[in-house]
Amino acid sequence: MPRGLRSVDRSSVALTVALLALAVLWLSPIAWVVVTSLKPAPDIIRLPPEWIPWPLTGDHYHEVLLGSSRTARIGRAFVNSLVVATGSVLLVLATSAMAAYPLARMRFPGRNLVFALLVGSLMIPNAVLLVPQYVLTQRLGWLSTYQGLIVPEAAMVFAFGVFLLRQFFVTMPRELEDAALIDGAGPWQVFSRIILPLSQPVLAALAIFAFRSAWNDFLWPLIAVNKPEMFPLPVALALLRSAYSAESYGPIMAGAALSALPLLVVFVVANRRIVEGVRLSGLKG
Amino acid sequence: MSRPTRIAYGFLAPGLLLFAVYRLYPLLEGLRLSFTNARLGRASEQWIGVANYTRLLADDRFHVSLWNTAFYTVASTLPILAVPLALALALNRGRLRTLLRSVFFFPFTLSVVTVGLAWLWLLDPVVGPFNYYLRSLGVPARSWLADPQTAMWTIILTTVWWVTGYYLVIYLAGLQDIPRDLYEAAALDGASGWRSFWAITLPLLRPVLLFVVVTHVIGSFQLFGQVFVLTGGGPGDATRTVVQHLYETAFQNFFQFGAASAMAWVLFAVILAFSVLQFRLLRGHTEY
Repeated sequence: MPRGLRSVDRSSVALTVALLALAVLWLSPIAWVVVTSLKPAPDIIRLPPEWIPWPLTGDHYHEVLLGSSRTARIGRAFVNSLVVATGSVLLVLATSAMAAYPLARMRFPGRNLVFALLVGSLMIPNAVLLVPQYVLTQRLGWLSTYQGLIVPEAAMVFAFGVFLLRQFFVTMPRELEDAALIDGAGPWQVFSRIILPLSQPVLAALAIFAFRSAWNDFLWPLIAVNKPEMFPLPVALALLRSAYSAESYGPIMAGAALSALPLLVVFVVANRRIVEGVRLSGLKG
Repeated sequence: MSRPTRIAYGFLAPGLLLFAVYRLYPLLEGLRLSFTNARLGRASEQWIGVANYTRLLADDRFHVSLWNTAFYTVASTLPILAVPLALALALNRGRLRTLLRSVFFFPFTLSVVTVGLAWLWLLDPVVGPFNYYLRSLGVPARSWLADPQTAMWTIILTTVWWVTGYYLVIYLAGLQDIPRDLYEAAALDGASGWRSFWAITLPLLRPVLLFVVVTHVIGSFQLFGQVFVLTGGGPGDATRTVVQHLYETAFQNFFQFGAASAMAWVLFAVILAFSVLQFRLLRGHTEY
């Protein structure tokens, strides 16, 4: 047996080495974006490709964030995206948690119908709603406004959020609730003082999911915003590309790197939560 | 209404309002628009029956877009199923699981525009590193995105790179739910690793595979961002997709909301048909 074990060990080391090599290859496109964004313009298109940017420069970031008029928008777009993503996260958390609570823990007529409607709506492709959503937003006078982005982005994630939170709420022991009700607490107190504090991990997972969804969405803001100062990052970046000639990769890559930054931070800080959220999202299948 | 019912609907109210206004109403309003000649700024729209739908039958560009989108969906399904599954199986056996999982997942946190810009630069036909390294391996440089033979495959490649990490995490979770003793029993019976993969892993992963395929198909039929950034639908119409056609019809070409809504509902029907088909195929024979 020891011999067999050792050969299993050796093959698992070989496998890990191969996976590490693949992982390096997998990250190389992102590394290339960052490397490019830090190189002085003449170095960028030099062949063979240089993977260590030397000398370093922050010029492209400076230009993209504060510099010339054609790129002054990226700094602003970053703020727009932050406002929209944060607003959408708060709206999703509030509405889905409140809706998931009675669906998980109360009996009332129409409960199954409401839940079936929400779960069924997960099959609706967002692209199908594009035109009527635009017409509606226009009638509300919300085109090129924060609420015109926040509310629809939240609506896209709401049903999923209810589904995710309900799964979690149903597993909580009933005694917690009963004890509070005997002490004279109303349903709102039970919800806000017992259910929510115990649900922090799943709420965090949903928050990250909603943030990513709003931060990265491209199609809806592309049509719902037509004032450049209101563009969120993906739209501003896509249009930045056409503002430059093909060879000016420096500023474009600086913008691309900046757009990846917030989720990179979340990712490093809350890796576990993200994985947990994705895992839970897979359970709906 | 009894008091408990009122309380329940009180909690549901804000969410249901959001849902009704921005999901349910647009769904039905889109269906209605598809039977009208609605345009942006047109004061009165008229009911024109199925004219928008019959016009789609004669719209060659729509057919090309539908064909491209279906091609993309079908051609990308196998890599999207297989690449993350192979990685998940390897990660499950090797070490550094958490680290490697994070690395492969990272591209999924990027927006489609960031992904597109990165690959546009990597694939640059003259100064991009991709072609440089291929040349040094003896493969001639090409403009992968400007060649109708390779453009769609290149979009598939970038998409696989983008979303593999997401499916990887789902597969890893699925693999962990398979009881270890099944493999031990199989090994005692002398089954090879390959054999237990076919006899245990794959059948027990069927619900996960179904989820991955259906999610992928719903997403693929809405392919837009990659095309918008990488090719603009070109060369010619080689990578033009349904959502791009819909977007241009509704927002660049006289704002034909009625016609675009008809496209949206045809797309919806195609997606539903594909999803039902896959449910049938993958849910069927679970007994073995």
